[in-house]
Amino acid sequence: MIDFRQYITFSEKYLQLAKAENQKNLDTDWLLIPALTFAWSAMELFVNNMLDDFSSLPEDMFQMHERAFLLEKRLRFNNTGTDCGNFTLENTEYRSLEDKILFLIAKAGKGKKIRESTFWSDFIAFKKKRDSFIHPSRNKEEHLTLTIKEVELFISTSKQVIQLVSSEVWKKEIEF
Amino acid sequence: MKIIFEENAKPNATVEKLVQEFLNLKGILEVAQEMPVVIFQDGMSGAYYIKCSILASDVVDLCDLNAKLDINNPEGFRANRELMLTNYTYLKMERDALKGREFNDVIVEYNTSYSREKPLKVWGGQHRVSAISKAGVQQHRFHGFRIYFNLSKEQRNEVALISNTNIAVSNDTFDRMVEETMFGDVLRIWCQHVGFLNTKEDFPDTGSRSEKITVKKARTFITNYYLGKQIGTNLETSDLDKRVYEPYLTETGTSLDPKYDEIMRSNNILDDAQLLEAGKRFLALHHAQVKAISEEKKRRNTKAYKNKAMVESVLCGWSFISGLLQSHPERLKKHYVIPKVSGRIHDPLNADEMSKYKHDSDKATYRGLGTRSALKDRQRMAQLFLARTTKDDNAQIDKDLMYSAVSQVVGLLSLSKGYSK
Repeated sequence: MIDFRQYITFSEKYLQLAKAENQKNLDTDWLLIPALTFAWSAMELFVNNMLDDFSSLPEDMFQMHERAFLLEKRLRFNNTGTDCGNFTLENTEYRSLEDKILFLIAKAGKGKKIRESTFWSDFIAFKKKRDSFIHPSRNKEEHLTLTIKEVELFISTSKQVIQLVSSEVWKKEIEF
Repeated sequence: MKIIFEENAKPNATVEKLVQEFLNLKGILEVAQEMPVVIFQDGMSGAYYIKCSILASDVVDLCDLNAKLDINNPEGFRANRELMLTNYTYLKMERDALKGREFNDVIVEYNTSYSREKPLKVWGGQHRVSAISKAGVQQHRFHGFRIYFNLSKEQRNEVALISNTNIAVSNDTFDRMVEETMFGDVLRIWCQHVGFLNTKEDFPDTGSRSEKITVKKARTFITNYYLGKQIGTNLETSDLDKRVYEPYLTETGTSLDPKYDEIMRSNNILDDAQLLEAGKRFLALHHAQVKAISEEKKRRNTKAYKNKAMVESVLCGWSFISGLLQSHPERLKKHYVIPKVSGRIHDPLNADEMSKYKHDSDKATYRGLGTRSALKDRQRMAQLFLARTTKDDNAQIDKDLMYSAVSQVVGLLSLSKGYSK
């Protein structure tokens, strides 16, 4: 199975190739786009795996709404049937990566105010750029440009997110 | 002062003069007691030496730890290795010296051609001299020396080499000696009853070169069984999976592990049928693992895979869980069943898959599950065996089980570091 370090490595390799192509004045988009997506995948994999660590614990160790979040399920109140008056988890309800990061930081990391940091605005810019490439449309075409400098920043942001979540939840630094 | 040449020693006036000169130094027991001093001559090298006892406080003044092999070269480097002052055995030596330990057979050369103020150049027993100098001076004790005189360069080299050549005694041998002294043959008999050892067979001298159980591993098994049992008795079955367990690795070497000592003093292991059963079940797992790997032809790392059950973290985790589940018979029953094998998983412990396992929190260099003996690995192995007992009977140790077990350990440890509800 590919781990987050490998995704970072793939991303960095693509970036290096893009730099080499750029020196020859050749097109770099075909290298920068995978570099961007691999950097995102590294971060997403890391955060998802961390949530899996929590969701693998016995059910009664979390509140119902927390389990719903961890398992990406919808919390439903039953007003009929055998479970009448109780909550149950049903279907899939995907959570965004930013919500997952905020959840982890708030629950295990003493509610650090990351939304106000520069790093968070870099993360949001990364997210917008990634979304525009992964869910492209004619209306978003103006966003479909990518520079070496941007990708460098996104890789760095990906590493920062991983480092932040690790130090907040595991209280340890990650070696890349 | 009477100086005698032993009958195998050829009389030598220079040597006799040097011995006389040495005997004028302070703190020599033979001089104080007016005992005759015998000069010996080594039949192999021809080197002359005497045996005598020197008072601790004078050892400090007379001994030079920076002995040189080439005394004619003023730039000559010291020949001895660096002292290992934080080494466990050395620290014990210091503690012993404080309590009045008398050390013997320290090898020195009487030589005043350099560092004249410290004429006894130490060739063998640097750590003992250091311990005497630091701690032994508080005790008014004599220590035994062998003192060489008038050495040629070749003789000096030989003395240095011989004094620093020793056949290392393994911790497994120390364990066996300490075990025999403290508890007689109880552990050996228990291992023979289980089948870890054959009748009349003893523990091996060096575990790493043997596939047999060592004293350390047998002690670890028993200690974990009882530690787990104690914890399991106080837990509801529904709470078993809500905590991280810390299987214990017994200390090895010249001192007896305190937890093992306590367990041996409060339990009669030869009369404990459940412990015997646990031992037999573990041995059955080990045999099944050995057999499965031996029958596999395309295997890398065969020895490590074959002896997977005997890896310390695996043994620790398994024995701890066997104790923990004594009060939870339904799950104990599952623990005792050897994990099934299949076309994809060829051995009960799935050694190959374990060696490839890595969690995100691990360093990039992590070598996989059940390869090291660190606490983290012992915790994970315990959780793996415990998690298996939540599955169907005879469940395989597959990749999913490894991921979920380690996730539980990491998740529980993360919660313990602070989680706000």
